[in-house]
Amino acid sequence: MSINALTKKYSYQSEADKEIEGAVKDFGHLVPGIDNMSPSISLPPISKPTAFLRANTDDSVNPDCKIKIAHGTTTLAFRFKEGIIVAVDSRATAGSWVASQTVKKVIEINPMLLGTMAGGAADCQYWETWLGTQCRLHELRNKERISVAAASKILSNLVYSYKGMGLSMGTMICGYTPKEGPTIYYVDSDGTRVKGNIFSVGSGQTFAYGVMDANYRWDLSVDEALYLGKRAILAATHRDAYSGGSINLYHVTEKGWVYHGNYNVGPLFWEIKEKEGSFNNVKS
Amino acid sequence: MAGLTFDNYKRNQYLVNQAGFKPPKATSTGTTIVGCRFKNGVVIAADTRATTGPIVADKNCEKLHQIAPKIWCAGAGTAADTEMVTQLISSNLELHSLYMNREPRVVSAMQMLKQHLFRYQGYVGAYLIVAGVDPTGPHLFSVQAHGSTDVGYYMSLGSGSLAAIAVLERDWREEMTKKEAMDLCATAIQAGIFNDLGSGSNVDMCVMETGKDAQLYRNYLTPNVREQKQRNYKFARGTTAVLKKDVFDLVDVVREDEVPVGPSDAMETD
Amino acid sequence: MSQDPSTYNGGSAVAMVGKDCVAIASDLRLGQQSLGLSNDFEKIFHYGHVFLGLTGLATDVMSVHEDLRKKTNLYKMKEQREIEPKSFANLISSSLYKRRFGPWFVGPIVAGLNSHSGKPFICGFDYIGCIDFAKDFIVAGTASEQLFGMCESLYEPNLEPEDLFETISQALLNAVDRDALSGWGAVVYVITKDKVVKRFLKTRQD
Repeated sequence: MSINALTKKYSYQSEADKEIEGAVKDFGHLVPGIDNMSPSISLPPISKPTAFLRANTDDSVNPDCKIKIAHGTTTLAFRFKEGIIVAVDSRATAGSWVASQTVKKVIEINPMLLGTMAGGAADCQYWETWLGTQCRLHELRNKERISVAAASKILSNLVYSYKGMGLSMGTMICGYTPKEGPTIYYVDSDGTRVKGNIFSVGSGQTFAYGVMDANYRWDLSVDEALYLGKRAILAATHRDAYSGGSINLYHVTEKGWVYHGNYNVGPLFWEIKEKEGSFNNVKS
Repeated sequence: MAGLTFDNYKRNQYLVNQAGFKPPKATSTGTTIVGCRFKNGVVIAADTRATTGPIVADKNCEKLHQIAPKIWCAGAGTAADTEMVTQLISSNLELHSLYMNREPRVVSAMQMLKQHLFRYQGYVGAYLIVAGVDPTGPHLFSVQAHGSTDVGYYMSLGSGSLAAIAVLERDWREEMTKKEAMDLCATAIQAGIFNDLGSGSNVDMCVMETGKDAQLYRNYLTPNVREQKQRNYKFARGTTAVLKKDVFDLVDVVREDEVPVGPSDAMETD
Repeated sequence: MSQDPSTYNGGSAVAMVGKDCVAIASDLRLGQQSLGLSNDFEKIFHYGHVFLGLTGLATDVMSVHEDLRKKTNLYKMKEQREIEPKSFANLISSSLYKRRFGPWFVGPIVAGLNSHSGKPFICGFDYIGCIDFAKDFIVAGTASEQLFGMCESLYEPNLEPEDLFETISQALLNAVDRDALSGWGAVVYVITKDKVVKRFLKTRQD
């Protein structure tokens, strides 16, 4: 028996260490070391992969491109007295084709953290799930939950390392930690990372901002805040062709996020229109 | 062409070049068309599919156009161009034959078509097989969009021309009977229908024989009849939510206004 | 963003033949790319008893409508009768082909009954006037591909006016729900020999 095996056999191993070891085994290729926390993504065997990708997937550069990445969304998140409200639509479009009306645009990174999805659906889904792994590893290494600031920074550093290579994401990382309180960071694929109270991201953002700016208060009750989130997305789904489907609502509290349901815009619109006496541009 | 206007040309050039718009797609015949001479006549045939890009716009369109009673033409290329160029030449040929007091000739139709198409440098995208019988006998020509023409005993045009010409090259013989020529054309078109994605549906055919009236066989073959639906998607009345309903007596009102026109004065409109 | 002029404003239309009746329907959206501008932009017009659905670039839709209004009025004065569907179709065809090299960016569809025989007539056009004579249904606009799919499956011949209304409405509604640039309300006309019924549908508003 080698000295290494002997040491291993007789030394104490904590549960946390075991999990780290397991994680390293499973995600070893993802976490080679502190200096490189991202996986290596293989590139196609051509001379300029980034130019190739842009020419074939970016319809603002090449309108005839064959691979259309799903764009168009409205997502929002705002801070208030009782936590954070996160609301999103659920439409995915490829050009004018409505590819899906039932997309989950809120990514539950872990029970405490939410990320929203705008831009490339695959980019957001993959990297925010990856972010969840990083957050868990942070917890295991530091015996402490990761702060929203740190989590969002892991993501922003990652996307920055891929800058100019075609990643497309606009996301809000939302969480509640004892030392930070309710916190929202806006992170996008340009590398922008900002903390703020009210954000809306996507093609319908202006419409959502319009409603939020008119009705937002810090001391909104939970019900009022949930309604505001829902109402702002509804307004955006109405005016923005690339937003629609249904609304997903979340409330982030100190105990973690709480899901507040899915609302189909079809019936919801007429219900709210009748109740509020609003949307008078639409005949009924 | 008489009466073409270029009013919107500058605006549309701006839209395409400056504003980065791209022009929409026109309906294309996508097409297999063939023509074949026989002992004392000529036969032309076509498939019946019209496409806009990858979409089948019309499953049973007519690609056989009448130029004169005994001169017919099969068209491939831009559908609007084949239709309109054929109508224009048809009317000019009619005037010409009235003026000359002679039966219209196939060479005249061919000459008028090529001169017209040449003038438009290929921008009028009509690719035609012109055929017919006149006092000088049966004739078969093809006309390309740029204005060139061919004479032949058998020919094919359109996206399915390769499939069709293969059949024609294999089976064509000199001095065929009418029946043989019709069968050959039908087989050639079917080769296009089944092997070319731009062609499909049915076979239309027109037979022109000296001393006889031209015979149009609309849907000569229908090898792609849609299977009868086993069940239907009929909705119960009241399925669709209606916000507002108005009823008009539009047709009645129109009829009351109508002033009767004597049968001798009535213009042929339909 | 680089785009096709006929998808700039969005909008779709469809026409169907039933038993001694025809139906024609359109959505009500007028947009500017992703932005919805108006939800009362009807794309169905009529000239006497002939109905026309006009999709495409909104500015051209209005120009073509006005042009046809002029032409059908002159026709009425000269002929002392309203224009019949088939003649109207040929009028549109030649009007559009006249602008072969400077076209209007429109996708028209025609529906109507011949006032003498009562025979249903529908047809569609491409933007340079190629007529598509169909016996069953005609589609146009940004949701045309979806409409083709809906109509191919839902359509059946010889529907009574009430059933034709349900079929055309469901075909339109479900097609525009899969098109970001169409929707925002819909209008349906069912035309029979003694009356025309116009209905506004309750639709999704996203």
